[in-house]
Amino acid sequence: MNLRMVAAIYAKEMLDMFRDRRALISMIVVPVIAMPGIFAVVHYFTENLGKKAALESSRIGISGRVSEPGVRDALKITGFELVPKPDARAAVENKSVAAALDEETAGDGSGRIIIFVDKTREASTIAGERISALLERLKLARVKTSLRGMGVSERVLDPFQVKSTNVAADKKMAGFILGSVLGYAVLLLMFTGGMYPAIDMTAGEKERHTLEPLLASPASREEIVLGKIFASTTACLLTAMLTIASLLAAIQRLGMGPNSEELEHLVSRAGPDAAAVALILLTLLPTALFAASVMIAVALFARGFKEAQSLLTPVIMAVVVPAVVGMLPGLELNVGLALIPVFNVSQLIKEIIIGEYSRIAFITAFASNVFYALVAFWISVRIFKTESVLFRS
Amino acid sequence: MIQVSDLTKTFRDKSRGLRAVVDHISFEVRDGEIFGLLGPNGAGKTTTLRMLATLLKATSGRAMVGGHEVTADPAAVRRMIGFLSGDMGLYHRLTPREVLKVFGRLNGLRDEFLRTRIDEVVEMLQMRDFADTKVDQLSTGMRQRAALARTLLHDPPVLILDEPTSGLDVPTARVIEEFILQARRSGKCILYSTHVMEEAEFLCDRIAVINQGRIRITGTMSELKAATGRERLREIFLDLLDDQPEKAAAP
Ligand SMILES: Nc1ncnc2c1ncn2[C@@H]1O[C@H](COP(=O)(O)OP(=O)(O)O)[C@@H](O)[C@H]1O
Ligand SMILES: [Mg+2]
Repeated sequence: MNLRMVAAIYAKEMLDMFRDRRALISMIVVPVIAMPGIFAVVHYFTENLGKKAALESSRIGISGRVSEPGVRDALKITGFELVPKPDARAAVENKSVAAALDEETAGDGSGRIIIFVDKTREASTIAGERISALLERLKLARVKTSLRGMGVSERVLDPFQVKSTNVAADKKMAGFILGSVLGYAVLLLMFTGGMYPAIDMTAGEKERHTLEPLLASPASREEIVLGKIFASTTACLLTAMLTIASLLAAIQRLGMGPNSEELEHLVSRAGPDAAAVALILLTLLPTALFAASVMIAVALFARGFKEAQSLLTPVIMAVVVPAVVGMLPGLELNVGLALIPVFNVSQLIKEIIIGEYSRIAFITAFASNVFYALVAFWISVRIFKTESVLFRS
Repeated sequence: MIQVSDLTKTFRDKSRGLRAVVDHISFEVRDGEIFGLLGPNGAGKTTTLRMLATLLKATSGRAMVGGHEVTADPAAVRRMIGFLSGDMGLYHRLTPREVLKVFGRLNGLRDEFLRTRIDEVVEMLQMRDFADTKVDQLSTGMRQRAALARTLLHDPPVLILDEPTSGLDVPTARVIEEFILQARRSGKCILYSTHVMEEAEFLCDRIAVINQGRIRITGTMSELKAATGRERLREIFLDLLDDQPEKAAAP
């Protein structure tokens, strides 16, 4: 194996790759523009829907029978718009208001306020919850006033206090979410980013008849395959790095928005530190090698570009499954699971971001990916030496 | 030096089954000689040249190229040859100069030497105007000159050229022919395939007429004339093609 030969092939492939518009789109444009774009769109919709529901939920109906003192004032002060509705139930049913209040006399002669809600509507549910909470506070205030009048301490209402604490740090929760999304996106885009270059330098060369001079040159089959695998690995790695960078940037912006939810804030601050990013890149190195070798081997088998594309589509589908399984909570990476390609990496990325990865699992995942890459390299070389595949017409 | 003896290639074909595409052919090309392999389309020329360039493994027979046996030591053979495939095989997104750089490196030329050598070849083949234009913007003639430049760049002792002038206009074909003649003067061993009789007659020192995988006759023009009693290569060629028991049997 002469490394100068490998380098010459690699240099040629890189030059060719960076002039191929299709490859540039999948390697650079998709991770840099499409990913944050999807994020922005999803964010826009959830935010707008939330605003719409909030606005809708503040419009409530009230029947003339509601006479409990203080109720109307309290509702108005809290920002509800009160719409007189003689038939409170019908008003909610025909959706003219989010919720509605009515009052009747209970068996003991006290007043009973009835809240009508439609639990199939988000705005109605929100309105109902807000009204109940408000009425509870009103009730409490009235009790306290009575107690004071009788000279009893308010403490009788609150003999002791309760506080619950979640031992899973918020950072961990947020890290779990971020890690799942990141692992999935990076793996998927890594494969799609390396796909066009891999096809172009194998099936594409066959189709354009450029393989013959290369095969008649002093470069050995092994050197040619290795140069191509390295170039395609570079494409995979480049895509993965761009995906990580653009995703982290998009998430950070998300958390800084004026209307961001608490969770978004947390996720945006759960971003990995430099050491974690370095570890993730280290994990992705053998993964990229694996992805590139597999795609080169598969694409080499095809007669032309189209055929290679249809052969590789199922491969990409096959990647999606373990990557999605890796997003599920409750799975922990052990040595056995660390042998499953793609899945091991999506899991590992998540654990690195949470800050709880096992060193054994890391080493196993690393080594197994290198091993699979070697197998794929060996298969590619075999294919390269099979003239019926290389010259079939 | 190329020595071919009883070289055979069979392909398994879906419709026709096992079939000898090159059938026990033997010939010899000396240094300083242009040897023409003349035959109609489908005769087996490209398959023969591919075996000599180590792209295809011979089913049986032997071939020595530049002192090395093609099946036993393909790596050594590849260091001796310049191979021009029928489709030129240039990378469309690269410029001729970039293509030359890639193949110069693959042939072990060091960067400083390679740079001057590329300039030299660009001059020789009159490629100055388009050496830095991407291949996909070049005419067929320009591409063929670039492909020939790639074949000759590392100054190999053996040239294997598959129909280098097919599809070219007369002036461009002329440039290429001139160049091949010049390569002969510098002592190279040149194997040249073509289906154009005039070209074979004009360029080649010796000619082998090949049809349906078999060599029908080999010799200099005067030897061919003497053997067949015909004056013109066209007549010799057509006689040989007509004289085919296999052809009559073919559907
Ligand atoms: N890889 C292959 N598999 C099957 N048949 C082939 C293959 N390559 C060439 N042939 C057949 O071999 C015959 C000779 O082809 P070729 O050597 O290209 O002829 P020429 O170059 O003289 O036109 C043709 O009939 C062609 O169809
Ligand atoms: Mg041919």
